[in-house]
Amino acid sequence: MHIPDGFLPAQVCAGGYALTGLITWVSLRQIHRQPDVTADIPKAALLTAGFFVASSIHIPVPPTSLHLMLGGLLGAILGYYAFPSILIGLFFQAIMFSHGGLTTLGVNAVIMGVPALIAWRVFRLYPQLTRWLSLRVSVGVCGFLAGALGVGLAAVLFLGIALTALPTGLDAATERAALMGLTLAHLPLMLLEGGFTLLLVQFFLQVKPEMIGAGSQQRAQSWPSPSE
Amino acid sequence: MSLALDRYAHLDSPLHRWEPRCKLIGLLALIFAFAFVESWFLIPVILGISAGLMSLSRLPLRFFLRRLRYPGLFLLVVVMALPWLSGTTVLWQWGTLTLRQEGLVATGLIASRFVSILCLGLVLFGTTPFLTLIRTLRSLRLSPVLTDIALLTYRYLFDVSTMLAQMQQAMRLRGFQLRCPKGGLRPSRRFPSRQDCQQLAALMGTLLIRSYEQSERTYQAMRLRGHGQLQPALIGITLTPSTQPQQRWSILGGVIAVLIAVSILVIEGLT
Repeated sequence: MHIPDGFLPAQVCAGGYALTGLITWVSLRQIHRQPDVTADIPKAALLTAGFFVASSIHIPVPPTSLHLMLGGLLGAILGYYAFPSILIGLFFQAIMFSHGGLTTLGVNAVIMGVPALIAWRVFRLYPQLTRWLSLRVSVGVCGFLAGALGVGLAAVLFLGIALTALPTGLDAATERAALMGLTLAHLPLMLLEGGFTLLLVQFFLQVKPEMIGAGSQQRAQSWPSPSE
Repeated sequence: MSLALDRYAHLDSPLHRWEPRCKLIGLLALIFAFAFVESWFLIPVILGISAGLMSLSRLPLRFFLRRLRYPGLFLLVVVMALPWLSGTTVLWQWGTLTLRQEGLVATGLIASRFVSILCLGLVLFGTTPFLTLIRTLRSLRLSPVLTDIALLTYRYLFDVSTMLAQMQQAMRLRGFQLRCPKGGLRPSRRFPSRQDCQQLAALMGTLLIRSYEQSERTYQAMRLRGHGQLQPALIGITLTPSTQPQQRWSILGGVIAVLIAVSILVIEGLT
């Protein structure tokens, strides 16, 4: 889902940069409101490196193999740091492997960063589900939705931009067929990404609950209060 | 995973000696001007500028070819379909196969822009050490949060990558096998089972937890060294010292690059 250089009209690239600039500015403003910004920078950096490397792990899907985007999980863990982190990750991918591009960096950041921010808000709904479900199930459900949304929304944005911005003049039937084919191809990916995100958030809940902001809830469920 | 960015940054060429700020501004101006090109007669111009800067940089040709391989494949798959699917003016027809003029023109434009922009990007990042690039971005007033995250990410990318390789090796030694036993690159012929997925998720999760724990140690080490108490570390560090004539040439080079970029935009706007 990385659009390379030269594919999009320059106006779309400029629009992508404008939108990326705006979202980065809003994210940085929220980051500067945190009590200790310097404490969070190494976390964001190391997790960016971790996600960058973890997304290179291939999952065999015969006859080929694929790798996960992990955008939803990144949003769930990093919150407001997710967008700058994705921007930097995409910058590294562009200069190290020529995946994506410099002129399309803004557009690619919007395609992957906006779904990550939405996935974060969806994942943060899990405390409300704990009224009806156990913490483990609530985290799993919201993790699945965050992971699936991270891929699904990114695919919708990618396809929307690719089909409207490419200088094609495809006939309507071809365009509809391409849209349908690509949408159907992304449905299993959504399920796979959602499934892996579910497994990962449950793993974090068990091993390092503070990573997903569930440290206090986990302690409350494991250790009953003295009054009980 | 090949992560070496600074492999050819030590070479000696006019591009390597170009003052980083002037180089960044000049080459980025050219890159963005190339993205605006829609006219056919400008294609040889942008390809010529890229080729000229590539030869001036003295970067080996195999460096460009290696970096062009993956995106080139994507280009081949996506763009090569355009002449057959896009447009109305039929140039050649054989059964249901129809070659159309508009699609062919779009393919040529996209491929030329893609190659010239990518090569200029490779010249920029191949001739500038990464640390110098970050300092340059900081000196151009990019947010310290972004530059610090980028710097630390780059610093630990190698460590995390090594950590993953060791964990995967440990899994294989314990009998975990998803790929064909003979060739590491060929994918498995079977879908991963639920247990395989759980183990892969545990691998990713452990990698992320180790990264998280490393970040806590890194922060403590940074605090002990006074990070956050004084001015950020990179502010005040001067970029590569250069002599007066070198500086003049650098500024002149930057101005020429920006003028060429503006000329391309003006010509494009007039046509």
